[in-house]
Amino acid sequence: MKRLNYVTYLAALLLVVSLAAWGYQIKAGLVVTNMSNPFNWGLYIATFAFFVGIAAGGLIISSSVYLFNVKQLKPFTRIASLSAFASIVGAAAIILPDMGRLDRLYNLLLHPNFSSPLVWDVVVVNLYMLITFLSVYFQLLPDWKNEGSFLAGWTKKLTKNQVDSLSAKWSKRMAIIGLPVAILIHTVTALIFAVQASRSWWNTPVLPPDFIAMAIASGTALVLVIALLVTGKANFLKYKSAFNTLAHIISGSLVVHFFLVAMDLLLHSWWGGHGAGVLSLVFGRYGYLYAVELILPAVTMFYFFTTAGKQSRSSLLTGSILLFIGVFVHRMMLMFPAFNDIPLSFTLPGAHVENWKYPITIGNYNPPEPTFTDFWAYAPSGIEILVNLLPFALTALIISVAVTHFNFLPGQEQKNHRLGVYTNTATTASIENRTKN
Amino acid sequence: MKLGMVIDLQRCIGCRTCAVACKQHNAQPPGNWWNRVFTKGSNFHQNAVGEDDNLSMEFLPVSCQMCDNAPCEKVCPVGATYSDENGVVLVDYERCIGCRYCMSACPYGVRQFNWEDPENSKREAEYQEGYEYGYPFDHRDKDGHLVYTPNRPKGVVEKCTFCVQYTSKGELPMCVRACPAKARAFGDWDDPKSDVNQAIKGRNVTRLLEEMGTSPKVLYLPPRKTRK
Repeated sequence: MKRLNYVTYLAALLLVVSLAAWGYQIKAGLVVTNMSNPFNWGLYIATFAFFVGIAAGGLIISSSVYLFNVKQLKPFTRIASLSAFASIVGAAAIILPDMGRLDRLYNLLLHPNFSSPLVWDVVVVNLYMLITFLSVYFQLLPDWKNEGSFLAGWTKKLTKNQVDSLSAKWSKRMAIIGLPVAILIHTVTALIFAVQASRSWWNTPVLPPDFIAMAIASGTALVLVIALLVTGKANFLKYKSAFNTLAHIISGSLVVHFFLVAMDLLLHSWWGGHGAGVLSLVFGRYGYLYAVELILPAVTMFYFFTTAGKQSRSSLLTGSILLFIGVFVHRMMLMFPAFNDIPLSFTLPGAHVENWKYPITIGNYNPPEPTFTDFWAYAPSGIEILVNLLPFALTALIISVAVTHFNFLPGQEQKNHRLGVYTNTATTASIENRTKN
Repeated sequence: MKLGMVIDLQRCIGCRTCAVACKQHNAQPPGNWWNRVFTKGSNFHQNAVGEDDNLSMEFLPVSCQMCDNAPCEKVCPVGATYSDENGVVLVDYERCIGCRYCMSACPYGVRQFNWEDPENSKREAEYQEGYEYGYPFDHRDKDGHLVYTPNRPKGVVEKCTFCVQYTSKGELPMCVRACPAKARAFGDWDDPKSDVNQAIKGRNVTRLLEEMGTSPKVLYLPPRKTRK
């Protein structure tokens, strides 16, 4: 728990760094990124898709606790809602630096074009942010009522019992409304890409279900990691069955993910010819990234099916981290093959020319770069990487501030005032031991 | 009225005059070209493709295809890209939020982003100080959308407008006027007597990426014989 205080400071520092970099980018323009006309989306959009994915925490809990009656996950409902809220805030945040004209964002309200999947996503992401916030709020409300916190100020006229039942009723409602909205954020985010017939790498009905599978895997992994950190070493055995359930959910959804990946690759490759052109990028130029995308989550999948993979905190953390890296690379791999597979291409059989790509204007006069190109070797710039700390810092900050100030493990109500964190005696003892040593 | 263009690939000599005239008249910043011309299949413009005794060279000019079913227009979250009453796909420089979704959507790669302030890029490209080029006035459509301005705002997408500042006055787009080979025709597809309808008479016509169903209003006349 104490470690989470350091997380708060680190996250705050990174947040300041990213905001400074963003300020510089706003002043100079998106020219400070390594994006270009032929490669018009990069790290920011990939990170957005990543954060939408890990925001699936609310979905896992509401479905498993309320639909499938998985009782051992009940202690983690608060953590799951918090992880969902913090991640969706991160997702929404990283969209902003990608906008060329942030100052005109109000046009989304004034002139929304409802044929654009981007507008659908704005609606569902904001709705999900609201629902997950209310979910966290209603679950914490009884605590705040007990403490007489201003956060429960509006319940002054209600008794403690009334607040308890209100909290239970509305937490359940939020979980149930949140379930379809959670499915929608992954579906609609996938549709932003999948509707584009101009990009054969995206244009597949496999994309939305695969986004859901990846979201359930990575969103559960985030709940698992937070739960492991919040419960502490000493309580590992107490919650072991819940951790095992989470690990099984991760493995199970990865099985679905790999099935969908296999179908996608088969449909892209079986017929062969030009339709398979994008695969030469996936397995050729970007083969090393694609290998990471496949191997790391596969390792996690098998590891979490074994007893060894679930037996300790470190094995669960390791598996989750491998998965996060794999999923992040998957999000980046949405971009690389898609943009470098230029749709306007020609085959001239008489001249033995296969799949000649019509060059695209780079958009930036930057000698010695050529003016036109049929391939853009994108790698994020230093500024892009700094700006991209934004959602990581924001999400970590929200989670660490929340778990160090409020009780996210119901049933452990004891507050340790010296540390200013909620904890139980066992954890306190272990921290004291560590301090002595 | 449904404005469109015909490009006769038999006549095109690949000189890129259209691209240059377009760039100058539309005040495109150094890195942006609304109009491109390449030698089909060749890594170098004006270089033939094929084997020693079977060489050929065909030029292909590409700018906005003015799709009837324009993916860029459908994905634009704020309606900044729209088709006007003549079927011309335009961008409102005052409404665009710079999300670049339209650039992902366009299969023709014609959309250009202002990655920085054009003033900066002109300076970086070492254009002569004080050299201003392009139609010097703003142009707004009848609803007041800013669809041309000589100094584009930073962070918005731009592309070919069929020279809306000229064609709205009944003049021809610059690429059509400037083409020394008279390879281009411009006019109303709804008018049987228009230049475009005259130009395709008795000719085979093709459109780029027909199979994508974008229904471009720019048509191409394929070369009748291979140039040697």
